[in-house]
Amino acid sequence: MEQQNNIAIRAVNVSKTFSFSEDEHNTIKSRLFNFFKPVKKKRLQAVKPLSLEIHKGECVGLIGRNGSGKSTLIKMLCGLYPVDKGTIEMNGTTMLMNLGLGMSHELTARENIYISGSILGLTIKQVDDLFDKIVDFAELREFVNTKIKFFSSGMMARLAFSIAVNAGAEIMFLDEVFAVGDIKFKKNAVTVLENSWLSGRTVILVSHTMDIIQKYCKRTIYLKNGELIFFGDTEKAIELYTSDNL
Amino acid sequence: MMLFRNLHLKKWFGDKNKFERIWLLGKIEFKLRYYENTLGLLWALIKPLTTILMYYIAFNVVIKQGIPSFISYLFIGLIVWNFFIESTSGTIQILRTKKFLYEYNNLYKIDIYVSTLVANSLGFLFNFIMFLLYFIFLEKHRIGFSQVNFLFYLNLIPLFLILFTVTLGISMVLSSLYVFAKDINQIWAVLSGFMFFLSPIVFKLEDYQKRLPSMSEINPMAGIIINFRNTLMYNKPPDMKLLFIDGAYAVIFLIIGLILLDRLGNKAAEKL
Repeated sequence: MEQQNNIAIRAVNVSKTFSFSEDEHNTIKSRLFNFFKPVKKKRLQAVKPLSLEIHKGECVGLIGRNGSGKSTLIKMLCGLYPVDKGTIEMNGTTMLMNLGLGMSHELTARENIYISGSILGLTIKQVDDLFDKIVDFAELREFVNTKIKFFSSGMMARLAFSIAVNAGAEIMFLDEVFAVGDIKFKKNAVTVLENSWLSGRTVILVSHTMDIIQKYCKRTIYLKNGELIFFGDTEKAIELYTSDNL
Repeated sequence: MMLFRNLHLKKWFGDKNKFERIWLLGKIEFKLRYYENTLGLLWALIKPLTTILMYYIAFNVVIKQGIPSFISYLFIGLIVWNFFIESTSGTIQILRTKKFLYEYNNLYKIDIYVSTLVANSLGFLFNFIMFLLYFIFLEKHRIGFSQVNFLFYLNLIPLFLILFTVTLGISMVLSSLYVFAKDINQIWAVLSGFMFFLSPIVFKLEDYQKRLPSMSEINPMAGIIINFRNTLMYNKPPDMKLLFIDGAYAVIFLIIGLILLDRLGNKAAEKL
């Protein structure tokens, strides 16, 4: 039972296939004359069957080339994409962070903070109490009532990161959050990873920056063409990844 | 509850913050709807007034139907219909427009629907108050205001609940189908056009019931509008048979909506 409680995410034999239609008509004429011809379907197995267990409070790295299925895998793990087969068991609230998405561009920073906080399970009262902390951490005090569509990508990333950190979910998927943002933001973000803020939380970190993975993740998943090549010691995973892509 | 495993209904019912969250989302949706343009909430006034004028010219000036208190009659029919049509048409693409809400934070999808309808209910309330003001100050001489029994107005609670649930159910059906068939937008435009003219919104009720017998039972909006008028205008209790039928429609649409949202809606993140 003790062991059971220690698991944040358990995936058993999960896989994901996408099917999408190909639009091969380039002209109106070809479209008209092929009206009844069935559309071609293309199938792509983005993630091949794999099983993994992530423990509570662990910081797990996720590496692989572009298109290796990293983003698909985290979307499956956080429950966004239904899996073809297999089961995913999750203990805790989740949040997926991907370069400042997950917020409405039509709403102000203030509204986004309240909505995200509320969805993450906080009461309005709790968001009230956290509000200043979130705004100051994101350094957006002057822009709280500005719609975020007017924000720069760095500002947006700061806001999303600040919400995630302060209102945070128990399990956080950080998809390339270090790719944007200036030196100061990166420094802040790294401080967060080092500090008590994330302690006790489970983090799945997707990154192409090996230093960060190396520094903060004990274990790392290496994906290649949708296949789980390795899940374990970070040094080994990075070694495999670099030797594969020399 | 296993039937709705993707919607996590059981967890949703147990979530103590849901009302607070729905109200928050609803208020923001209301703001987006009415305060994003120059005239703002004024549109909630202009729109029904201009449509009333339009139908008044068509069905009272050109075609003389001779319905007593035609403006009040139209007013009620149109605010009920507008709530229905704006909510259903407006939510067809909701799984796309509100993707940010469920994609990154795992919000219960049902919250998105309920909060949007809450925003529309605020619009309905605004229109309803306009109607009452018109009715009390300009129409009372015909009805005999002293005779209006405001206790009957309590019947508005179950009536609105039915209207809300029918609308919620149909919204979920349409937007779930939209994930796989974008044509649903056009189909609903046609279908709802039929529904409008197969409801006693602009027609005299007696003619409607004589020439389209049992349509008030087939079309859920017909019964709802008839009962709204009974309550608000005619100082009568609701037609119990129609109330019962519409209540049944509400439950049926809600269940079908939940099933479809559960089955098709969970593909929304990857398809839309």
